[in-house]
Amino acid sequence: MNDPEFRILSFVNHIPPAEGIEEHIERAFSWGVDAVVAQGTGSDWGPFWLGSGRQVESDVARNVLPYVRAAQRHGVPFIFSFGIAGGNVHLDKCLTEFQRVCAADGLDLEIAVIRSELTSDELAERIRTGPPVLPAADDPSLAPHLKPGDALAATRLVALIGPEPIQEALRAGADGVITGRALDIGLFMAPAMNAGVPIAVAAHAAKLLECGGLALEPGDSANCMWARIDRDSVEVRSPNPAARPTVASLVSHGFYERSHPYTEDNPGGTLDLSDVVYTELDDGGVRGVGARWIPAPYTLLIEGAQHVGYRSISVLGVRDPALLAQARAWSDAAQTQTRARYSEEFADDRAALTTRIFGLDGVLGSLEQETTVTGHEAAVIVDVVAESQELADQIGYHAFIRLFIGPYPGRKTTAGNAAAPYMPVVIPVGEVFRFGIYHLLPLNDPCALFPFVVQHFGTTTTQEGTVLSNAAR
Amino acid sequence: MLLDEAARVIRSKNAGPFTLTIDIFFDSDDGYARAKDSHLLTPDGVAATYGVPTETVKGVWWDERVRAAKVSLRRWSSSADPFCSDMFGAHLHVPLARSEL
Repeated sequence: MNDPEFRILSFVNHIPPAEGIEEHIERAFSWGVDAVVAQGTGSDWGPFWLGSGRQVESDVARNVLPYVRAAQRHGVPFIFSFGIAGGNVHLDKCLTEFQRVCAADGLDLEIAVIRSELTSDELAERIRTGPPVLPAADDPSLAPHLKPGDALAATRLVALIGPEPIQEALRAGADGVITGRALDIGLFMAPAMNAGVPIAVAAHAAKLLECGGLALEPGDSANCMWARIDRDSVEVRSPNPAARPTVASLVSHGFYERSHPYTEDNPGGTLDLSDVVYTELDDGGVRGVGARWIPAPYTLLIEGAQHVGYRSISVLGVRDPALLAQARAWSDAAQTQTRARYSEEFADDRAALTTRIFGLDGVLGSLEQETTVTGHEAAVIVDVVAESQELADQIGYHAFIRLFIGPYPGRKTTAGNAAAPYMPVVIPVGEVFRFGIYHLLPLNDPCALFPFVVQHFGTTTTQEGTVLSNAAR
Repeated sequence: MLLDEAARVIRSKNAGPFTLTIDIFFDSDDGYARAKDSHLLTPDGVAATYGVPTETVKGVWWDERVRAAKVSLRRWSSSADPFCSDMFGAHLHVPLARSEL
């Protein structure tokens, strides 16, 4: 049996690529590439995209095009997760755009699509019949044991699928695999594990590759990164000569957005990088060895957005020194008057209100040590979350009026206390969500819930001679 | 000496929606040693700085290879708080950075 060797070109698909990316991609292919892999989902943005069904307009299809062209030219598969929050609605928007870009570019692709949205009923049924579904974080807002009702209360649910459903899809031999929400490292582990790379090394390589060029020096996810993976080690190189991997850049990247510097819990096990040793090579690469994988029961992280209300905000600019000197007292007084006017709504938790003063405590809130505005101007942001948009608007308007005309000691600004830069003065922001579900779902079969469907993308001619443009689904 | 003055990079970010992690990189062995000997960069010191219980500090780790420290703690204002002022957790290093070593 030959030793496994697998080479991956990685990037981040929701970030527009760096200048000269075609040249960097070709350099990577000159070293050899067996798969092109890029993540495009994440919870960094909080629960809003997941709950609202909206997403960052990031032009994902255009970002991936140079990579897809190269993968096709060289006959290797690509693996992408699409849509930030990664629900069906997000994935479909990306796939529709991908279809348009493929057709315009003359590409003709068979793609295995894996959806990772769960219905509330599906999750409720698993909670009823399966082992306990426990929180993935120690936050007191998360239910200690998920109940079927929690699943039914969620607006939208996604699972961070592991490498296994992608491994199955890859075996079908399509041009590429595109998923909704997925575990970032699973995208990279899947093709390497199919090639026989042990899970510990595959996961270690995936950790380094998951943010594209971010693990290089200088770090920039607009750049791509290349790795060669074998039975024992991963070797990383930068296809862009203006960046390079260093021992420090790779160790630091292990820290990035991770709670623990060396260990990470994943579906089916914990990746342990405590004993990894990196060596800088003469050709500009860095090799890492020593990753371990400690098996654990298989669980998938489920993210669920729960609607909590509607937000309205109002912005006021303050420049008058006498008011700046008492800005907090003035806005606290306006809040008190507004709460009194809507006392029932506040008592019933149908509304909540805060004011941030940028220039004083807008960033740190109660952690701020400064007690007065020290600069020459400040902005007050009235922030209301209420059970309806109308109520949020009304409360925001009341707070605005009190701030605008409310008296304060030493007031000279009797025609109006502040500048109003926006009309409407109360801006309806829309729905507010929280992660009501951030829990680990035990699974015996990592694939059963997440089958792949092979779909055609691009322009093709049927036997009847009509041109089909197959939009997603 | 403020931590800010000893460190080359102090970066704060979420590690998932409910955890904050702060990575601190030092240029010199002196700065690294001084920080490592400080009370500030201990679970108690971090908890006091942020006004949170010590048991919500998940750890303080040190890596000599890259002269780095890592601090992780439970977010006191997370996605469950509609008035969370820093969704990415990208600016919550300031109380630590502005503290004396």
